[in-house]
Amino acid sequence: MNDDEWLRAFGAELHQRRVAVDAARHVIAEAATHLREGGGDPWLVFGPPQAYAAAIVESIGTAPGPRPGPVRLHATGITKRYGRRTVLRDATLTVRAGQIAAVIGANGCGKSTFLRICAGLISPDAGEVTVAGRLGYCPQQGGTIDFLLPDEHFVLVGAGQGMARGPARRAGRAAARQLGWDAESTVLARHLSGGTRQKLNLTMSTLAAPDVLLLDEPYQGFDQGSYVNLWDQLARLRDEGRAIVVVTHLLNQLDRVDTVLDLTPAQQGGRR
Amino acid sequence: MNRLVTVAEMTLRELVRRRGVLLLLLLMPLTFWLIRRDSHVGQSVRALLLGISWAVSTAALFATSAARELEPRLRLAGYRPHHLYLGRMLGLWALGLAVSVPFFLLTVFDANNLRYAGIAVAMLCCVAVAAPLGMLIGALLPREMEGTLLLLTVVAVQMLLDPTSSAAKLMPFWSSREIASWAVDHTDDGYLSRGVLHAAVVTALMLVTVAGLFGVRLRRRRHLRHAPLV
Repeated sequence: MNDDEWLRAFGAELHQRRVAVDAARHVIAEAATHLREGGGDPWLVFGPPQAYAAAIVESIGTAPGPRPGPVRLHATGITKRYGRRTVLRDATLTVRAGQIAAVIGANGCGKSTFLRICAGLISPDAGEVTVAGRLGYCPQQGGTIDFLLPDEHFVLVGAGQGMARGPARRAGRAAARQLGWDAESTVLARHLSGGTRQKLNLTMSTLAAPDVLLLDEPYQGFDQGSYVNLWDQLARLRDEGRAIVVVTHLLNQLDRVDTVLDLTPAQQGGRR
Repeated sequence: MNRLVTVAEMTLRELVRRRGVLLLLLLMPLTFWLIRRDSHVGQSVRALLLGISWAVSTAALFATSAARELEPRLRLAGYRPHHLYLGRMLGLWALGLAVSVPFFLLTVFDANNLRYAGIAVAMLCCVAVAAPLGMLIGALLPREMEGTLLLLTVVAVQMLLDPTSSAAKLMPFWSSREIASWAVDHTDDGYLSRGVLHAAVVTALMLVTVAGLFGVRLRRRRHLRHAPLV
């Protein structure tokens, strides 16, 4: 990791930890100046970006987070059975505008099923979901079309919301840039790497500016930088007032979310 | 309208970029034509029409299967079921027409004494029926292998049945045989009108069934309620 990459990761960490924008900019500029004038490997000078960001937060504090807004998604009593096997039992989750919720649990505990029920793609055996506003959904896989270009994906999704082609392309490219990806290429989706393809998948789900965003392990195939960009992007969307639900098994990210629903069978139900 | 056109356009773009598929789409009817070329011209025309029907319905089957995972998210993105199946069907019809043009020209240059308007109408009917047939099978059977086998069965039965039997009239491409008889053997106009009517009825029936299947699969689920945004 060179100086720029370290600074970018550091900046993303500060943003994630909700350090005020001006303060973060100031701290990053100071660190950059220090590295430029003093030289040296930032990992030796400052340590890992996460640890240094944590130290900064302890020192200067964080900006007060926006107060959670009205309820955007309320799933209650969700039960789902496949044959005799009950994969979800009375699962409940409430997410407000300006919140990120994580759905966690062991493999096969029904995380993706829960998200698909929230998206209205499959029906539960019991329970109901109330959504306020527009829904966006990013599936774990299979959300793209092999023989279309990224721009054509944007046009296709944008047309669903009545967007003209130009604005849809621009919105898609801008959202892709937030993930560190230049989507202006003329490469078919089938030739994109797994991680880039997942960025396309994710970009499609945020294109129409949904009020509620449902993401099923959206980081598959991401490298470290992309992963940081993803959480940076999610934090930005949260600060804009979106309600976000992320299915994740990466527990180290849970300190960055506001609500956790653990679907592991022994610990059914939600906790905060 | 924009949504319909966009889905149709993307379906076409996707299929046209599959060069291997395009080649095989053209190869199948050509092979059918060449195999029967030495016999009575009526046989080669009928085989050609069946080849076009088979090729277009296979393309429709695979396009429908490939889009199965994408469609729910397009539904969430604002599309309604009819945008998705009608748009896809429009794209497939356009592809079918494009595939038919060189074969129509082939009959014009390679066969004499035909009612060429009849050949054109028969090809139109083949394409009209084939797209919803492939989509119907793709919508009924989610796995491509099963769908392919069912389509193979339908076309094989169509080929083997005695065209004068009443069972043959229940087959989707019976119309093309009737119209081909009018075009090749210069039979009375009843063949043409029966064929066109059969194709129209079969197309309409399959379109309605496809609409029903898509409507059920992509329906709004009752457990999901939309509250006003505050």
